[in-house]
Amino acid sequence: MGIFKEKEGFTRRQFLKGSAILAVTVVVTGVFAKFGVDIYKASDDYIAERAQGLYTLDESMAIRRSHKNPEIAQIYQEFLSPGGVNPVSEKAHHLLHTRYGKDIPALIEELEHHDENHAA
Amino acid sequence: MSTVIAEGVIRVTNNCKACDHCTTICPTGAINGLLGQKHHIDPRLCVNCGQCLINCPFGAISDASSVDLVRQALNDSNKMVVVQEAPAVRVALGEEFGLAPGTNVKSQMYAALRKLGFDRVYDTEFTADLTIMEEGTELIHRVFNALGVEGFESSGPLPQFTSCCPAWIKYAEDKYPLILPHISSAKSPQQMFGPVAKTYGAEKLQADPADMIVVSVMPCTAKKYECDRQEMIASGFKDVDYVITTRELAEMIKADGIDFLNLADEDADKFIGLSTGAATIFGATGGVMEAALRTAYEILSEETLDKVEFEAVRGLAPVREATVEIPVKALGSRLPVHVCVVTGLKHVDSVIEDVLAGRSKYHFIEVMNCPGGCINGGGQPIRRDTY
Repeated sequence: MGIFKEKEGFTRRQFLKGSAILAVTVVVTGVFAKFGVDIYKASDDYIAERAQGLYTLDESMAIRRSHKNPEIAQIYQEFLSPGGVNPVSEKAHHLLHTRYGKDIPALIEELEHHDENHAA
Repeated sequence: MSTVIAEGVIRVTNNCKACDHCTTICPTGAINGLLGQKHHIDPRLCVNCGQCLINCPFGAISDASSVDLVRQALNDSNKMVVVQEAPAVRVALGEEFGLAPGTNVKSQMYAALRKLGFDRVYDTEFTADLTIMEEGTELIHRVFNALGVEGFESSGPLPQFTSCCPAWIKYAEDKYPLILPHISSAKSPQQMFGPVAKTYGAEKLQADPADMIVVSVMPCTAKKYECDRQEMIASGFKDVDYVITTRELAEMIKADGIDFLNLADEDADKFIGLSTGAATIFGATGGVMEAALRTAYEILSEETLDKVEFEAVRGLAPVREATVEIPVKALGSRLPVHVCVVTGLKHVDSVIEDVLAGRSKYHFIEVMNCPGGCINGGGQPIRRDTY
């Protein structure tokens, strides 16, 4: 009877089979994990590269401060606040500022009648 | 008032494989759908940011297009068609022509727009500078009001939030109406450009504003929604007529067979086209803040900065904060200005709740919907190679 009794523990064949499955699992998981990490990294990389593009362009510009833009000074002096550079002037407020949420219907009403009010 | 315009500008097409990826991307939880069924977008919650569109692995989400209307205007000889381009467009447009992300193609972009038939090529960076003048002045007034300086009693409360991002504005209007008095009343650079072009620009061109068409090239799908907002009529006309994205501009350039990479360098047209480095960085998260600090520091201190970079507000972390000490000449004291930069609407709720509860120490808070800022907007070239 003893000749049909299986040996205790792992056979060499079972051991090889087990370790092969383990090895394949590790490799496959690793490849997918690497894939995932790459996607994550790649997606951040292009954002950082575009940002760097803007910062490099900024460094190359002759003028790097908004208030030193000569066309900005010109539009205030000639149009938005004649004679000076005065932000939030009446005209600047009309053209360049807005309102939000429940204040919008009143703003639309004012804008639609702006010309009449100013003619009057 | 509801800020919903029709169905919004973002649509799910029949290519949707119901993979659910977009629902993890959406900052407002606007996308839903059962497993295995085509998803749909709730326009009441959608902020039109297009993050789902650029992140969809199947390219199954699209945005409303005005390209045909722009072509029509370009072909109409009675129309004076002028164009503005956002800062973020110039460092991403090249990707559609095989260049690396971040390559500056500003000069070729101006040249390509003239080849497409635009009568005048200006730059949104000009109105970004104008935004800094208006929004920065508003901030200074709010700070003076909080310090009890006489003459600024009509100024709004602190902290002041930025107002450049239309997705953020819609989110605040829909979800946090109580925060609205804190948002700068200054329009976004795109919406400042429209009325400026149709008043001051029309005067300079001796054109009838009724015959002017203002087109924007934007890295953003929410800008399409913003230009259609009903209150954007300060010029007496619709301020900005059409918005096309960076992707759509690339398609137009390709459709016309323009050899983009070999175009000679050109400049923007004058009067409303000159830009500065401060305006350029608007396209990256923290850029509006940095540009505002450069100007606020110099105007308040009456000194010139040796180093214009404020590294503390740069980076890609979702929430960043910094304190800048400004010697305010008019007050004769140093004022510590606390600022905060938020990128990604998913991270803004706790910042807003602190403000509403009176716990916020900040003076100025920049909010941009898209992670990384406009350079990663929903209208930018799609990086399919990352999937």
